[in-house]
Amino acid sequence: MAQIVLHDVVKKYGTFQVVHEVNLNIADGEFVVLVGPSGCGKSTTLRMIAGLESISAGTLRIGNKVVNDVPPKDRDIAMVFQNYALYQHMTVFDNLAFGLRNRKVPEMEIRSEVTRATQMLGLEPLLARKPFQLSGGQQQRVALGRCIVRRPQVFLFDEPLSNLDAKLRAQMRIEIKALRERVPTTSVYVTHDQVEAMTLGDRVVVMKDGWIQQIGTPLEVYNRPANRFVASFIGAPAMNFMEVELVEEHGVVSAQAKDFKVELPDEQAAVLRKHSAKTVTLGIRPEQIRLGMPSGNTGSSFSGVVTVTEQLGSELVIALNVADSTIMASRISPETGVSPHARVQMWVDGKALQFFDHENGKAITCAPCTLR
Amino acid sequence: MIVRSTKLGLDEKERFMLFLIAPAAIVLACFEIIPILIGMNASFRDWSLVNPQRTWVGLKQYVAVFTDPVFLKIVLPNTFLLMTASVGLSLAFGLALASLLNRPFFGRAVVRTIILLPLTIAPVITATMIRWSFNDQFGVITNFLSYLGLADIGWLSDRWPSFALVIMTDIWIWTPWFTIILLAALQGLPPEPFEAARIDAATPWCIFRRITMPMLRPVIIVCVLIRAIDAFRTFDQVWILTGGGPARSTEVFSVYTYVLAFVDLDIGRGAAAAGVGAIIMLFVGGVLYKLVNRSVEVSR
Amino acid sequence: MIALALDGLRRAIFAISIVAIFVLFVGPIMILGVTSVRPASGAFYIWRGTNFTLNNFVEVLHQSQVLEAMWNSFVLSTLATILSLGITVGSGYMLSRFGGWIQRSWFATIYVFRTVPYISWVLPLYLVNTRLGIYDSYLGLLLPHIAVHVCFFSWLMKGFFDGVNPSMEYAALIDGCTRWGAFCRVALPAAMPGIAALAILCWLSTWNEFLFALILSGKRTPLITSTMAQFVTETGTEWNLMSATAVLAMLPALLVTIFGQKYVIRGLRM
Repeated sequence: MAQIVLHDVVKKYGTFQVVHEVNLNIADGEFVVLVGPSGCGKSTTLRMIAGLESISAGTLRIGNKVVNDVPPKDRDIAMVFQNYALYQHMTVFDNLAFGLRNRKVPEMEIRSEVTRATQMLGLEPLLARKPFQLSGGQQQRVALGRCIVRRPQVFLFDEPLSNLDAKLRAQMRIEIKALRERVPTTSVYVTHDQVEAMTLGDRVVVMKDGWIQQIGTPLEVYNRPANRFVASFIGAPAMNFMEVELVEEHGVVSAQAKDFKVELPDEQAAVLRKHSAKTVTLGIRPEQIRLGMPSGNTGSSFSGVVTVTEQLGSELVIALNVADSTIMASRISPETGVSPHARVQMWVDGKALQFFDHENGKAITCAPCTLR
Repeated sequence: MIVRSTKLGLDEKERFMLFLIAPAAIVLACFEIIPILIGMNASFRDWSLVNPQRTWVGLKQYVAVFTDPVFLKIVLPNTFLLMTASVGLSLAFGLALASLLNRPFFGRAVVRTIILLPLTIAPVITATMIRWSFNDQFGVITNFLSYLGLADIGWLSDRWPSFALVIMTDIWIWTPWFTIILLAALQGLPPEPFEAARIDAATPWCIFRRITMPMLRPVIIVCVLIRAIDAFRTFDQVWILTGGGPARSTEVFSVYTYVLAFVDLDIGRGAAAAGVGAIIMLFVGGVLYKLVNRSVEVSR
Repeated sequence: MIALALDGLRRAIFAISIVAIFVLFVGPIMILGVTSVRPASGAFYIWRGTNFTLNNFVEVLHQSQVLEAMWNSFVLSTLATILSLGITVGSGYMLSRFGGWIQRSWFATIYVFRTVPYISWVLPLYLVNTRLGIYDSYLGLLLPHIAVHVCFFSWLMKGFFDGVNPSMEYAALIDGCTRWGAFCRVALPAAMPGIAALAILCWLSTWNEFLFALILSGKRTPLITSTMAQFVTETGTEWNLMSATAVLAMLPALLVTIFGQKYVIRGLRM
């Protein structure tokens, strides 16, 4: 096991820069998830850590050793690929043993290592099969096994679950999580799925266009997104955004738009006062919007017209027209009877509101961590 | 990578790349590039086996080739006629056959085996059997045609019938190639557009023209490129069928060059003709490549 | 009713086309085959008479030159196949997996030299071979036969490797292989079906090759195609013997077509 340190790591193809000065310290045993939309540079960053892409500038350390020019085979890493990348012409056993045989490990030891991994993953009945005889989930388990047997310093995961169907994906996510408890190796996990990022990561690194947007624990990026992009990317349904004007009247700061006004609690107001009379972007998570009248004294109510309702059984999601923009509200009790075109009254806790600079999208205040 | 390649040295990856191509590159250099250079050297000399002086004569041989009426009036037109007729017609027939075979029917495996035969049999043998079948006295096909009342065609004694026979032989050989590739391409097409078109009540012809053809276009273009380049160097069929005759009237570029160098034993002139052919093909190849690149991109 | 009649018409046209394919593609071969089993006098007007004989084959096989030519062609085709594939597999892999100026310039080189007509370099190659004293020898025939495949095969091999997902090789690199190890132990086995198909086509095309045989081989190392061509262009009258030779020369092609059809089709698809 080892820590990984990226210092000003850059990737360029010709003059085109795809990863910009990435700085990231991954502690020994930590599980870090790189998340972002496609083309954000997360896979390239992972492949640089793996040694599959050369590093254009900056330094990469694995376990205190600079490995910029170390070939992948000598980095003591293991990697799981999106399409499993199993060796098609080898049996499952040979697939698992391949890395160990390359390192001239005695056959006895290979056998015991493979047994350990197969028991962990329930692969025993499949050892003699070839990859094309396996289902997607089984193939992915073999790919995980291939990493485990090697006992490497670092695990790298390149969107390992994105080729699986939704049900299997949820199941494998739990298996990876369980595996992580038993094999606490430093891991870097790349995904475009924010659910995987939130559930698996000790820390989450949100990337966009080759820049790191935010590094933090899952709760930090959820509750205190550094900018509008992170706020919209993490959380589902995505955060609602509205252009509002901050108005200070009689010492009370409120965010206003057409037919919309919420008063801000004191903590928020303290920070936002200096932006008063300016336009800012207001972010409200769909799950913070509740139907009816406010229950506490920090709630502000507003009204909107229902356009669409989505009944999920466990909850009701509704789309509303508020102040000329469409916003989503989720976690509405499924028994609530609302129908399209109805005007409904809603409220939101002022503490749950987030504000972003209208121009550059940076967060202005952050809601406290503990809500709901 | 950026940092290192500015230092002029090769990094580990580039060394591996060179290592991979080294054997192929060495063979290519020794047995294709160097001979071409030697041929270019020979083309500037007066070098025939009866007069082995090898005096340097500059561009005289090229001038001789370019002022040779046989080369200008017969060889070049023949070569390009063969190229366009063979490629065009084999493509058309290949497309027709591929569409015909792109459905299950009894005996399909047999038909597929049969159409492979022209591809696997040596062109020399093909030309031999065509020549025998069209023999003016005993040929099965000539006799059959005269039975139908078409007795007066001098298949191997008049220019155009002979040349038609050359083209037909080429089409016989290459139609199956187009068929196999286009059939594979047809079978690889996604079914959804065709289903959608059927639901939209398109006629079969309309489906073929508006959906099949555009989807096959990249494959067709690549096939045509490969075949056009190959058709330029056609030698076997022509040499066996007509030997360039009657009276050199069916000579194509390869035959013309071969005759100059190995029948007339004028190495210098032959090398010049070979050089001219190479230059023409480089030009044609370049133009085709440009066209292919553009149209493949457009149809993507 | 009209629909039914139309359907019948369509079926009839379809059946006729299939029959036409048979006649067009099998006909000439049948003519050759029948000629080869007719006695010398019956070779003319082969559609008359009922005398059949295998004497033509016996007679042809008694000519040492034909047997020798077949053996030479066999050895040459086998060696040329092994060596051509051996040297182009790496080149195709490089073209498929890497980028940059080396890849681009090698690709351009291959394209350029693919367009050059064979005669343009076989003619001077004749001079080279006579100078080096390898004219009309195995070596003198083998090396050009390999060189002729470099360009096209590199391109085909690129296609085979393009069809193999590179992540297997990445996994191998991480699993402790060198680049060479990843190529040999992972990429190569995965590309093997394509390469096997290409091997068959390569063997056949060398067996069938004529221009090189005509120019670079002589009395010492006769090849089957050039020997046959001599029959046609020089004697030109003993059609029964010539047909027998042609049928013998055609045997590998027939065998491959019937038994190795799958590979031929796979190889042609590129």
